[in-house]
Amino acid sequence: MSASGGNGAHEPIDAEALDWALRMAEPTADWDEFLAWLEADPRRSTRYDHAVCSLEAATELVRRQAPPPATAYETSSSRPARRHWIGGAMAAALIGVIGLGVWQERDRSYMVATTAGEQRVIRLADGSNIVMAGGSRVQLDPAHPRSATVLAGQALFRVRHDAADPFRVRAGDLDLTDLGTVFDVRLLGDQTHVVVAEGAVLVDPQGARLRLEPGQSVTEVDGQLRRGRQDATEVGAWREGHLAYDDAALRDVAADLSRQLGLRITTTPAVAARTFNGTLEMRGLRDDPVALGVLLGVEVRRKGDDWILDERR
Amino acid sequence: MPPSGLELVYLENRDRLVRFLRARGAGDAAEDLVHDLWVTISTRSDGPIANPVAYLHRAADRLMIDRYRSLSQAEKREQAWEADRHDENVVMPTPEREVGARQEAERVVAALDALGERKAGVFRRVRIDGVEQRAVAVEFGVSLSTVEADLREAARALTTLKDAIR
Repeated sequence: MSASGGNGAHEPIDAEALDWALRMAEPTADWDEFLAWLEADPRRSTRYDHAVCSLEAATELVRRQAPPPATAYETSSSRPARRHWIGGAMAAALIGVIGLGVWQERDRSYMVATTAGEQRVIRLADGSNIVMAGGSRVQLDPAHPRSATVLAGQALFRVRHDAADPFRVRAGDLDLTDLGTVFDVRLLGDQTHVVVAEGAVLVDPQGARLRLEPGQSVTEVDGQLRRGRQDATEVGAWREGHLAYDDAALRDVAADLSRQLGLRITTTPAVAARTFNGTLEMRGLRDDPVALGVLLGVEVRRKGDDWILDERR
Repeated sequence: MPPSGLELVYLENRDRLVRFLRARGAGDAAEDLVHDLWVTISTRSDGPIANPVAYLHRAADRLMIDRYRSLSQAEKREQAWEADRHDENVVMPTPEREVGARQEAERVVAALDALGERKAGVFRRVRIDGVEQRAVAVEFGVSLSTVEADLREAARALTTLKDAIR
């Protein structure tokens, strides 16, 4: 009896078995359907084995020829937002952990990125969703569906609560555990800002264990946590174009506006460190960035496609 | 010690897994294999498992794939040895074999790239980076069925070539 049975390695690949090999590699693969297909004809199992092995051998050849990613993925505490990603939205290939064990699942984490000025809703399998602001990046891992990492920008989490399996979010240097439902995360400059609209969030569950209730916020800078308050009904208002800032440096405001509006807005060193408190309306600003001058107390100059915030003369 | 969450799922699905292993060609060995499978899984720590039933099925599936692979490799070695006894030149010297492997890889990659940027890109994202097809569809701004068709085309082209080279 031979391993390949009547369907040896020299027979042509059959398309049907190859389709199953592709389908069953997906995390959402339907094992009941697969079983039904297998049981309908006892020869199918070997055809499937052969297709999987051919496909994996071919994939391995491509993998070895693939150029290495610019920066290897690491899980250290360094800020992911500062890493270089190949081609922006094309995330750096995550180096898999194949070979550690025969059943080790492949690392299937992936990144969702929005372009500046775009908003996108990611719907998760459990009914939770994440609304991403423009110019933001969120990393997800199907192997850990109740978790997400905010790599850049801003995201509003609307999480289905499960006390037995809390939803975890990593943002900048902060770990968050959801104790409720709706909260917003923003990386702005070197600050990480978290504010709760509904339910509750536990900040730094391994350390400070700071509990945020609706309307409460926390801002983390250089490992220091600062509590704050914000109108709970205003959380996530950026989706409608209301951008709220609380003692934010103008350079960070400019970066945030660039992301949300899809414009290139920068600051000169003279005004970069000034702070701003208040709310800006995206709608008017997209068409007339010069209006920022009055709102922020600066002069707005245009240089090509760039809008520069400078000191008033 | 009370059974862990995964163990409960295993116990509940044990018969189902035996049936699956049988359908995957395990025959009478299915009962023994399902036991070995559980022993291996229970000593591993993969962290939280999203869908335990799918996880157990995938582990069983992997087990059978690996069995198939090791059996067919043993068979190949045997054939090579048989052939060797009749013809001393059948087994190539190592450096040549290495060049052969590199050329093979280059041909496979060339065949992939010849399909066009999107199809090659979709194949790499799904098969090498391990990104879910649905997420790749979003990335490339195409429908899921387009991703499926691209993958199918790339997989057929590559496996046909790979099998032809071998």
